[in-house]
Parts: sequence; C-alpha cells; structure tokens
Amino acid sequence: MKNITRRDFLKITGATLAGATISRGLRALSLSGVPARPNIIFIVMDAFSARHASLYGYQQPTTPNIESFAQNSTVYHRHYSAGNFTPSGTASMLTGMLPWKHGAVAGGGLVRERFVSNNIFSLLGSDYYRFAFAQNTWADRLIGQYPQDVERFLSPFAYSRMDGSPLLLNFPRDRALASTSINDFLFSLDGTQKIPGSSVFGYLSKSERARASTSEEYITKSYPKGFPVAMNGIVYRNEEIYDGVYKEIKALNEQSDPFIAYFHLFSPHGEFKPRNDYRKLFSENKSLPQKQNHPLNVFDKDLAPYKGGDFLRNQRNLYDSLIAQVDDEFGKLVKHLQEDGILDNSYLILTSDHGELFERGFWGHGDVFMYEGVLRIPLVIRAPGQTKRQDIFSPTSNIDILPTLLAIAGKPIPPETTGKALPGFTNEPADSSRPIIAVHGRDNSIFAPLKKAAVSMRKGEYKIIVYLGYTSEPIYELYDLENDPEELNNISNKDVKTLSALKDELLQYLQESNKMFS
Amino acid sequence: MKAYAVIVFLIYSWTLLVSFYRFPSWILYLTVNQILTVYAYNFSLNFLESVFILGGVFLLDWTVFLILKEKNEFAARSIIVSTVVLASVMGRLFLFQDYNEAPAFVESEPQWWGIIALLTLPGAALLAKVQRVRTALENFAERAVVFLYIYLPVSFIALLAVGVRNLF
Repeated sequence: MKNITRRDFLKITGATLAGATISRGLRALSLSGVPARPNIIFIVMDAFSARHASLYGYQQPTTPNIESFAQNSTVYHRHYSAGNFTPSGTASMLTGMLPWKHGAVAGGGLVRERFVSNNIFSLLGSDYYRFAFAQNTWADRLIGQYPQDVERFLSPFAYSRMDGSPLLLNFPRDRALASTSINDFLFSLDGTQKIPGSSVFGYLSKSERARASTSEEYITKSYPKGFPVAMNGIVYRNEEIYDGVYKEIKALNEQSDPFIAYFHLFSPHGEFKPRNDYRKLFSENKSLPQKQNHPLNVFDKDLAPYKGGDFLRNQRNLYDSLIAQVDDEFGKLVKHLQEDGILDNSYLILTSDHGELFERGFWGHGDVFMYEGVLRIPLVIRAPGQTKRQDIFSPTSNIDILPTLLAIAGKPIPPETTGKALPGFTNEPADSSRPIIAVHGRDNSIFAPLKKAAVSMRKGEYKIIVYLGYTSEPIYELYDLENDPEELNNISNKDVKTLSALKDELLQYLQESNKMFS
Repeated sequence: MKAYAVIVFLIYSWTLLVSFYRFPSWILYLTVNQILTVYAYNFSLNFLESVFILGGVFLLDWTVFLILKEKNEFAARSIIVSTVVLASVMGRLFLFQDYNEAPAFVESEPQWWGIIALLTLPGAALLAKVQRVRTALENFAERAVVFLYIYLPVSFIALLAVGVRNLF
C-alpha cells in the first residue's frame, strides 16, 4: 500500500472536515431521505436585477411565482454578482474567483488558461452527468473552454426559432475559440462588431437572421413587436425555451446518474420583447427617484434626446413585464418538476449573472457603473425536500456558488477558489462584515496589472466604488446602503474616516490581485 | 486560376480588413496562441467561401452563359461576375450595419439582387467580348495570383490546425 504523506494526510483531514461541516449544514435544512448525491439544477436568468423582483420588495408585483417558490427555499437577500456583465459575472460563478483573477472581463472574454479547470463542471467530475445550455453565446463560450467535462452541451440555438449554428457544433473539442471566431467575428452574432468578418457566409447568416426576426410568422398578435432575440440574432420564445428546459430535466432525471444541469437563459436580458398580455401589466412606476446623470456616462450623448427619463421609464416598464412573463414560465417549470417528484432529489438554484440599470442616463449593463441595480442579483435555492423558508441577510457573492456546490457534492474545494460556501450550507456563522467585491475591467488588458477599472466593495452597510484610470485622479464614491439603498447620496466627502478605511482595504486587495503580474 | 485569384483576394482581404478593427480588442484578452487559432478558423472559412463562390461561377458558366461558347472569355466574365457579387455583398454589409435595420435590409434584398442580376449577367457577357476590357481584367487577375500563393498555403495550415484541435 502506498505510504500516506503529510500532504495526503492534510488533504484527507481537510476533505473530512469539509464533509462533516456540510453534512451538519444539510441536516440543519431537515433533509432526511436525501440521496447521497442529489441532482443540481441551475437556472440562470440573464440580466435579472434583484432590484426589480417583488421577492425583494420591488413595488411592482413582478415575481409572484418566484415568491411562491421561495416559501420552501433559502432566499439570499444581499447576493451580489462579482461582475457587471455576462463574461465577468458568469465566469465568477463558474470558477469561484473574482474577475481580476479569472480574467474573463472583456466582451466575449475567456477564463485564463491556468484557471480553466477550476470550474463547477470539471470539479464535480464524472460522478455527475453534466449538462449545459447557454442561450447567451458569451456564457456558451466560457463553458466551451472545457467541453470534455460536459457530457451534453446544447447549441445556443437550441429550442429557438432558428435551425442554426450547425457550424459551431462541428467543433465540440474547441468550442470556445471556434465560437470566438465564428459567432463573434465571422458572423458577428454577439453584437460586439457590426460588420461580419466573413463576407459570403456572414452575409447569408445575417440575411437569414434578419428575415427570421422580421418574418410575418414571428410578428403575431401575441408578439406585435416580434419574438425576443438573443445575442443579435437568435429568435426565440420563452414558452418554448422553458418547455425545452423541462424536457431536458425530465430526460436527465430518467437516467441513473445524478446530474448537474446548467441553463443560462437569455430573458429578461434586452431587448425587452414581452408577450403582449404582459406589456401593459404595470402602470408607470413613479415612486422611483430621479438620479443625476453620471459624469462617466459615455452613453449620455446617445441618450440626450431622452433626457427627462421617458426612454428609461419605458425600458424599465418593458423589463418589468418581461420579468413577469419569465416568472410565470418559471412557475410552470417548478410545478412540473414538483409533480414529477424531481425536486425531491434535486437542488434547484435560481439566480442571474448580473443585473440591469435604468438610471443616471444609462440603460443596460457592462459599462463602468457598479450600482446595486446591476450588481445585486436574486439567489433562491431549494434543497431536496425543503419545507421551510430560510432568509439569509448577510451579504454573499456569486463566487460562493462553486464552493457551495462542491460542498453539496462532498468534493474538496481547490485552494484557487476565492469564494466560501454560502450561509445555510455550512455551520460557520454568517459574516456580515465580509467584503463583497465586484470588478469591471473590460478596458484593461488581462495580461497587465489592473489600472483602468471600476471596482466596488460592499462591507457591512457601506459600499465603496472606485473608478481607476478614467480620469487623472481616481474617483471614489461611498454609500450607506442601509439608510440610502438607492445610492443617491455619495458621502465620500462627509464620512472621510469610513472612506479612508474602505479605500485602504480595497486598494490592498487590488494590489494583491496585481501581484500575479510581478 | 485567374478568376479564383480575384475571388480569393477579395474574400480574404475583407476578413483581414475587418479583423484589423477587432485586433486591438483581441490583444487585450486573448493570448497569441488563441489569436492564431481564431485566424485559423477565419482562414478555413475563407477557403470554403472562395470555393463556394468559384462553384457559383462555374455553375453560371454551365447554365446562364452556356450559349456563349467563347472559352477565352470565361476568365473575364467570371472576374466581372464574382467582383460585382462580392462587392455587392460587402457594400450591403457596410450599408446595413445596425441590427435595427433588419427590416430595411430584408425589404431591399429582392430589388438589389434583381438589379445586380439584370445588369451583371448581360454586362459581363458583353464586356468580356471587348478585347481591352478582357486584357485589363486579366492583367489585374495575374497580379492577384500572388495572393493565391500566400493565402492558399496559409489556409492549408489553418485547416490542418483546426483539424488537429478538433480531432485530438
């Protein structure tokens, strides 16, 4: 028998302790009769801001079905994405690392090669049957970095109104770079560039997508503005997408292995095209405060005709309507899964990759802004057979998802991981003063120290935002989120002591992260 | 060969030109190896596109231009047709850049391609009969042949790289 080294001994001890901690945590959730390895179903609704969910107190009743689902689930009230758009947010969730470490900070960005294997699918290993479907081609590309660790990996076009992307499926072993070339550059499918790099096939693809999105077949009474379109060309209907989700889960459940199923669904990402019966569901929300245009708002010029907020209000209403429609589809999905008994042996996780902003003259996400609307995302987890609601108010980050899932599966957490198992899944006391960091670094090379970036850190009731490299001197903003949840009053000039302490701490983390380049 | 040289020159140049605008952003987040791989996919698709257009040119010659039995006009006719078609494609891609212009893009397609077909097919047949035009086009094509010697070996390596990355 092989001798056990000191390192092996420490590893075994660590894994045993982690296992013991999680098993106590699971017992705390009254999970008797749960299989040793329950299934994991992941529903990621792209660009779903917690600020727009009535589950979290939004004035419009946008999420009655999610609220009903939450009655037997664990609800995280202060859950944050570590990135403010798909690559950074999704990669943080999948790797358990902050964006300045994993490096997927650009539009279509990829995880640094040395950290690629540090992801949910590879770390759960072949004990689980692994399934992935991402309508968002940027999320698809991130999972495409380790296609060998996903047994069934659908095309972003699956369950949509397009036959499409057969080209991409021909490169199953090299999906990430094939997608960077084909989807991103040659066919300009993700909208990063307006002119496709391929003249002939790029034209044919553009023509097909343009015809699909304007075809009379797709502009119906139910959808007078046409069906929703993902990533500049994938025409879909949420009804069919969620039917597909159910179909896939049902098929996965019929096999003997436990499975992880990751669904990255495009709605409620813009452009917002809810079904007609949802369009007029909400009257204009006048209770939301007006916010000053931000000096770094590069879109200010474009939005100039809409100053006064009519455009933003209209977009916000459509967004709320689309959330309500998706909420209904989610409600139907949960009902089916309950009826089939699938939820008795599965974790169901509902979350998002980032939120959406409709303020300060800005609509969207992925720009420098690090306000609550774009960073606070929903997180609701139903454990198998969970019968009680649990509310977690301590701040958490989506980098905590990976360690949580590994803990559920009884797998060791690699040292590269920055996140921690979520409260409710460990017996460790929740730490309300833990710093929750988010990074926007798409203007910076990932091969150099972070010098042009926006970074936010929530600690306790305070949140600091620093904009580095956009002006000659860094800009700091400080908000007291308990007393000013709308982030209306920048108190960086009033509370200099808090600013100084948080600034020092944040810059220390930044310095640490930049050490990888020294 | 001469017609194919012009087709290759136009198709590959378009891709290279558009890629120059993307290159500054790629170097921010892709490694050299990854950028070379992206170009391998680009050139592989370019090769397929060039064969596709060449196939179209042959098809036209065996169908629409069948009545014109002048074999020495084939190169000039093919150069005119492929240049006009590729220039139209590129022009339309340039004109209709915004996704919101999809309805206008779709509406204008039948007229655009109708007019192009009406002008180009007889135009190519007639112009190819003019000795001076033929000579000028063939001279231009001969100069474009140098690109064949560059792009085709590069495409071969690119196809090999794509194959290796996806098979092993």
